Amino acid sequence: MSTEIAEYHSIPPARRGLLIASKWLVQAAIVIVVAGLVIWLGLAVREALARKGIQFSFGYLGHGANFSLSEGVVPSFVGGWPVLESFSPSHSNLQALFAGLWNSLKVALSAIVLCTMFGTLVGIGRLSTNWLVRNLCFGLVEAVRNTPLLIQIVFWYFAVVLRFPPANAASNWFGGLLASRSGVFLPGLAISERAGAASWGLLAAAFALLVACVVLGGSRPRLILLAAAISALIAAALVGFPLGLDLPVATRFGARGGFSISPEMTALLVAIVVNSSAYVAEIVRGAIEALPKGQWEASASLGLSRSHTLRDIILPQVFRIVLPSLANRYISLTKDTSLGIAIGFPDLFNVYGTVSNQTGRNLEGVVIVMLTYLALSWIISACVNGINARVNGRRAR
Amino acid sequence: MSTLALRWVHRNLFAKPFDAALSLVIIPLLAWAAYAFAHWALIDAHWQVVGGSFKVLMTGIYPADQLWRAWVSVAILCAMFGAGLGLSLRPGRTALASVGLVGILIAAAVAAAIDLHSGMLTAASAVIGIAAWIGAYRPAANQRIVMSGLLAGVVAIFVVLSPPGFEVWGGLLLSVVLTIAVSILTLPFGILLALGRQSRIASLRVISTAYIETMRSVPLILVVYWIWIIVPLLAPDTSVPGLLRGMAGFALFFAAYVAEYVRSGLQAVPRGQIEAARSLAMSSWTLNVDIVLPQALRVVVPSLVGQILDIFNGATLVFIIGLTDFLRAGQMILADPQNSSRTYEIYVFLFAVYLAIGGAITYASRRLEAHLARGSR
Repeated sequence: MSTEIAEYHSIPPARRGLLIASKWLVQAAIVIVVAGLVIWLGLAVREALARKGIQFSFGYLGHGANFSLSEGVVPSFVGGWPVLESFSPSHSNLQALFAGLWNSLKVALSAIVLCTMFGTLVGIGRLSTNWLVRNLCFGLVEAVRNTPLLIQIVFWYFAVVLRFPPANAASNWFGGLLASRSGVFLPGLAISERAGAASWGLLAAAFALLVACVVLGGSRPRLILLAAAISALIAAALVGFPLGLDLPVATRFGARGGFSISPEMTALLVAIVVNSSAYVAEIVRGAIEALPKGQWEASASLGLSRSHTLRDIILPQVFRIVLPSLANRYISLTKDTSLGIAIGFPDLFNVYGTVSNQTGRNLEGVVIVMLTYLALSWIISACVNGINARVNGRRAR
Repeated sequence: MSTLALRWVHRNLFAKPFDAALSLVIIPLLAWAAYAFAHWALIDAHWQVVGGSFKVLMTGIYPADQLWRAWVSVAILCAMFGAGLGLSLRPGRTALASVGLVGILIAAAVAAAIDLHSGMLTAASAVIGIAAWIGAYRPAANQRIVMSGLLAGVVAIFVVLSPPGFEVWGGLLLSVVLTIAVSILTLPFGILLALGRQSRIASLRVISTAYIETMRSVPLILVVYWIWIIVPLLAPDTSVPGLLRGMAGFALFFAAYVAEYVRSGLQAVPRGQIEAARSLAMSSWTLNVDIVLPQALRVVVPSLVGQILDIFNGATLVFIIGLTDFLRAGQMILADPQNSSRTYEIYVFLFAVYLAIGGAITYASRRLEAHLARGSR
């Protein structure tokens, strides 16, 4: 800045005006050229589409979709009430895109949670004092990071999930998890019939108390709120708990009950979780190594064990450092769900492809999909920035 | 000797109760997994499927009577890699010996899998690569020659391979050629974007930033697919081959990432350098080309090499525009009913090749980083 001012004052006034004028001219020229390019592109595409008899409009979104998706739910109105129902060909194109977005988000959110936990473990394992653990984690990270994500997804789908036993002979893991080639079944929550209004009220109260406990500050009120929430839960259980565990059962005609995950989603989720965990592990490891060695030495001199130091001294600091890098990882992970098209998972990009193939409306579709991905990126970074400000703000206080 | 080994085992596997417990769980599991894999790989697996479909894996549906073109391009590729190595790594005795050994091993594997003729050609390509390495190692003096040589190499590969038509390119050759072409195409565009983002002209800054941020928040597959769709609409009279449309999509996408790397390099250039150049009344062009960029690019070379790996891994996405890359070629082989039970053989082979190439790129990137860190001290 200072150099610019110095330059500016060394120029005689007569030339100064000329300089400013030329600066504005350059600005205007750039804006005109770029705007012209964009407008030309838009017009050329529009003209090309018009020649095919397609006008630029978003009206097609309301038309019937006339194709089916293997999974996905859409919002719709039944008797004036908004409900989520599974997608069928009679729904509109817009609802199809929503179902795709729903599927993408389903995978992305589960993957974000799982890869953070798994990745942190692997990252700590990279620094373990046990030679085997250290090198196994290193090997996992290197193998995952040096091969394409797509081959990992395809491998998990064609070589693992589709090789599971058929549904009637599903392999049973600890009674709760069923793995078959028609999907994975987990225990689900079911509403039990004998629940009364009182137990529902108590459960809602317990949930509200827990939320209040997380939002409010101060350790004493928190403890009271937590105790109140737990006692409300116990009371609800005594009155007749409204929610029961619904275990999946393998029958001759396939598994039923519980919470089912399609084989495509299983493969995509596992592949993305394993892949992202490797990156999260590297982020966590880097952050642990970046902490001053004095932290370890100080807690060792206080007689803390290595695991205590890690849990109580190192990790809380690490989570402050890694948040921005994690946000980047979460954004890439969300974008990676678009690779589900390779195994037929109906994510947002897959549905966009189907819709634009059927209607020929690539331009409108791509605008919607790009804006959606942009919005997702912004939301993720806004969320992580918010957490970052909260966490690091508390330290400053 | 045995006491040393015991001490090592004690210190590394059984130092603490928790470590000992972990070791006791992991060692049997690992031994079982290693045994199962070895049993499968050596006894159960039918590796003939890999040898039998080697041509498809490597070149896709490239016509068999034109295969000499593929071999010429392999030789050019080896020479380019050698020259690239020569830019940074001294051809010392151990380095030469290890590269030579790897070359001999690959040539022997090729000779065993296909025929002696192909093995000989592979060995010849390795020799060309090593010769180029030794020839290119002249510190600083002929860097520009090597750089333009690399560019000429890419052009030569396209000229040699193109006569049968772009549609028949496939297999590993397609993946590698696409990666190299895109890596080089993204550089000038990425540098311009980075300079634009740092520019003092506000409109240029806003436009560059918007482009970079948009590209960085949409998936690669969307960009590639959309460019592929949109080019025929823009130029209805000419038919642009799918490969070139795909390359354009990749280049437009990765340029945004290159721009961010270059920007971090630009920020690493000390401000005094720019001020000194300004005080010598250098024009913006001279300032950027002769003072800022050489220093900025030097810092980001490891990241840019790492980016080649991203491009190579991303190249698997060309399936969306109907091209047959290495992964797709493997899937095509599995689609043949008589190979349908060879899933694991094909995937293990694909995985091993991807891991070897990816590992080599990562290793090169780390070595370069260490090399540059040493130079700047």
